[in-house]
Amino acid sequence: MTAAPKDPIGRVVATEALPASPHQFHFWTAVEAPVGIGAIVRVDGTGRTVYAVVTDGRAYSDLLTPLHEVVASDGNPATPPPPSRRAEIRLWTAAVLRQDPPEPMQPVPLAAVHVADATDVEVALRMDTYARGEERTAIPIGLYAAGGTRAPVFVDADFLLGPESAHLSISGVSGLATKTSAVMFLLSAIFQHFPARKGSVAAVCFNVKGPDLAFLDLPSELPVEDTDMYAELAIRPEPFAHVRYFAPFKPDGVNLNTLRTHPDLVDGVEPLVWGLREVLDYAEVLLNRDDIDAKADAFLDFLADRVVGRPFVDEWGNHHLVESFAGLEGLFRAIFDGLEQAGGRDMWRTHHLATIRKVRNRLMNVSTRCKGLVTDEATGNDLPFGAFGDRTVYVVDVAGLDQLGQDLVFTRVVSKLREHLERRDLGVDNVIVFVDELNKYAPADGPETYVRKMLLDISERGRYLGLVLFGAQQFRSQVHRRVVGNASTTVYGRMDGDELATPGYQTLSAATKGKLATLPKGELMIRHPHFTQPVFLRFPRPAALAGRQGVERFPPAAELPFADAVVRQLVALDRRVAPPRVKDLIAGRREEDVRRALLATRRARPADVLAYFTARLGRAVPRDAGADTAPTVTPLRTVEDPYAPA
Amino acid sequence: MPARGTAIQGAPQPVQRPFASARVAEGKRVRALPVGRAEPAPDGVGFADGIQRWGVEGHFGIVPVARAQVAAGVLVRSEGALRCAVRRVEEFLVVPAGRLAPGERQALDDVGFPIFEADGDPRPHPFLDRWAAAQVVERRREALEREVCRDFLAMPQTAVLIVDGGLAGLRGVAGADRAVGVIKKHETQFLEGADLEVALTAPEGSRSSVFARELGDGTTILSWYLRLWPWRDEDLLHGLTRVERIAADGVVEDADRVSRWLLAERAPIAGRDSRWDRLLYPLHEVETVLRAQAGGWL
Repeated sequence: MTAAPKDPIGRVVATEALPASPHQFHFWTAVEAPVGIGAIVRVDGTGRTVYAVVTDGRAYSDLLTPLHEVVASDGNPATPPPPSRRAEIRLWTAAVLRQDPPEPMQPVPLAAVHVADATDVEVALRMDTYARGEERTAIPIGLYAAGGTRAPVFVDADFLLGPESAHLSISGVSGLATKTSAVMFLLSAIFQHFPARKGSVAAVCFNVKGPDLAFLDLPSELPVEDTDMYAELAIRPEPFAHVRYFAPFKPDGVNLNTLRTHPDLVDGVEPLVWGLREVLDYAEVLLNRDDIDAKADAFLDFLADRVVGRPFVDEWGNHHLVESFAGLEGLFRAIFDGLEQAGGRDMWRTHHLATIRKVRNRLMNVSTRCKGLVTDEATGNDLPFGAFGDRTVYVVDVAGLDQLGQDLVFTRVVSKLREHLERRDLGVDNVIVFVDELNKYAPADGPETYVRKMLLDISERGRYLGLVLFGAQQFRSQVHRRVVGNASTTVYGRMDGDELATPGYQTLSAATKGKLATLPKGELMIRHPHFTQPVFLRFPRPAALAGRQGVERFPPAAELPFADAVVRQLVALDRRVAPPRVKDLIAGRREEDVRRALLATRRARPADVLAYFTARLGRAVPRDAGADTAPTVTPLRTVEDPYAPA
Repeated sequence: MPARGTAIQGAPQPVQRPFASARVAEGKRVRALPVGRAEPAPDGVGFADGIQRWGVEGHFGIVPVARAQVAAGVLVRSEGALRCAVRRVEEFLVVPAGRLAPGERQALDDVGFPIFEADGDPRPHPFLDRWAAAQVVERRREALEREVCRDFLAMPQTAVLIVDGGLAGLRGVAGADRAVGVIKKHETQFLEGADLEVALTAPEGSRSSVFARELGDGTTILSWYLRLWPWRDEDLLHGLTRVERIAADGVVEDADRVSRWLLAERAPIAGRDSRWDRLLYPLHEVETVLRAQAGGWL
């Protein structure tokens, strides 16, 4: 914290054309006064103190017309400057943050203007109501630095994580490392400052591109100015102490689909693998708008309620126990064959053949497009719903998945979080869900999707559950109005000029927009319910390793052949495992069997990894020629879906 | 060849003192002399000017009571920036001499302002009474200007002081040899015949030869005309100033250098003032500062 100059730096002026009002006023300063756009000032009137933030500035001289300058210079711009400088004024516009006393609300007094000191900043932003005392709910979010004053700025946990209001939206152009960095810094601040009496908190972060969030448990090298900033904000510059990484497999089912595959780090990544049941519960995600009709819904419900996970006997006497996609395909085949043998009937148990074919196409398509995420097993490997840890970050790496897979992961994870929070059995009281590229999941326009509906629901009701959305996007205007509108805290990094021209930024002055358009790295503008005007802040680089540096220090390992990948995973579970022994064990075995045994071993994490793996693998069965490859599922072409894969 | 016509609004007022005598002090006849390339006066140069404002505040019967405020100041220029170095303000009342009853005079004394009496005709006449009050105000303003000039010239530094108007009031003031008077009005003509024509038609960037005029107390004022802006297509007096200095050794020889200083003051233009062609910007600034600080009571 540094002190501001004690002497006034300006005086309020008011004319008929530029009057002082209760919400805005104008003041002049000397040319060299240490104020600029975003600086907080204090006006000391008689019996009234006003705090305000500078939103605009103008400078002009007594020059009546530019022609006088031309004449005085004989029309030659190269003429040496005149001996006297013209009288010049700096006239600033400031928006009122707070008046003391608040009532009666009156125009700003025509009095001396001072640069705000740290105490003034605290009062101006109403932080005195939540940053002091036993009931303190303050979370540091950055450092106010202007006019020679440096002061920490806090947001109110009750308004950031609920229950008063919640959610955070952060916007900014890509490539300036502001959005992700700011959120990671803020998560650190929340984990260190969220009051224990308000319960436990965890974060689920979806890594949607590159290695952005792949190294949150590793320390970064911070320059002195950043460590100083951490000290001023009373935050320990440490990476996250508890991070769990989840990533789906690549289509081979053994190599993880993530950039955190360096041999020193890959042990910490857990596979994210789901079976038929997990997918079927969220089948709506997989259907596009045209598909969502009552008939498809009814058939999906029938499958979920009557077929999957329980013995089922069809009309032709076939016994089914559908627990996997292969089992489901068997049921579909039996239905199609049965109907054909029955003389070309087109209805099965009140469901039309076309509906069955459509649902079958969509579901089977998932097993192809999301291979690696979706397994043919009955059970998969999931986030530890019910056993979430306090102050733990769960990174779900979906960067390698296509849009369908990302939608599925996102929907299922968030829906599960919501279900558990409703039952209060998640393991923590509050969960922050960080989603980058929110404009992709909750676009302002376009078809109504399940994902968008779910995001709207979270943004409107999540605060009561402790489910908090931290959404990042390049263009705020491209995110659904109700999603960004429900975010009580809004953060802006450097903004694109075209974006600033959209209606959502009409309340900002031209100067504020200009500053936003040129905001350097590490600076942001924030709106928060307690701040009546947006405030510019600085924040330090995250103490956790950034994705780009992480990849440089820990380059991803090359994709391994099947056997080597299995060995690596088993060795990661138990260093005593001898690679040649594993290779001998799996030689000649079907890959599905090996994957099944591997997944079971990972889930069980037994004391004797090799013995468990061997037991799950079972004895080798002589194979028929041609049985080396699993039967592939070929989606059927239907009239309703002419573009379905042939 | 007459200059292009210039519109004149209203009839010219009679000039109080149209002619005075002078002798050429540089050569035998007045010539137009180019002064050379403009160069700014050295840093620390001062600019002195004053303002006056007055109005009739009320009457005792038909006896007017005028309230006046006069101010004078010096701005010093350093690295292009002008800042106020000296400033004096005076507020007072003016009444016609000997026309107030004792009770009325006491009432005015109780107001707390100094009271000056204006000499005038003992017979009441609203116009003459006002004219007499105006004379008092003008004399007080001149006195105040003299005081701020004296203050500046008494300062330890030896900077030049450029004064708005003539220097007759500074005779006898220590350091007055560093003062340069710049006169914008040309009511009084000191030259005649060919000398006057040469002086009044001097081209832009030229000055007339120096001429001397004697004051009653033996003081000699040296003076010359300086054309700041071209007058062709304008009025004959457009851009024409008259410079004054109190006679001393080297003043005549220094006329070109001083003229170059003043020529450099063509920019910035004091465009808000109709006399911009003769009014130096720093002198205009002195007025601006004094008016701004005086407030707006009248």
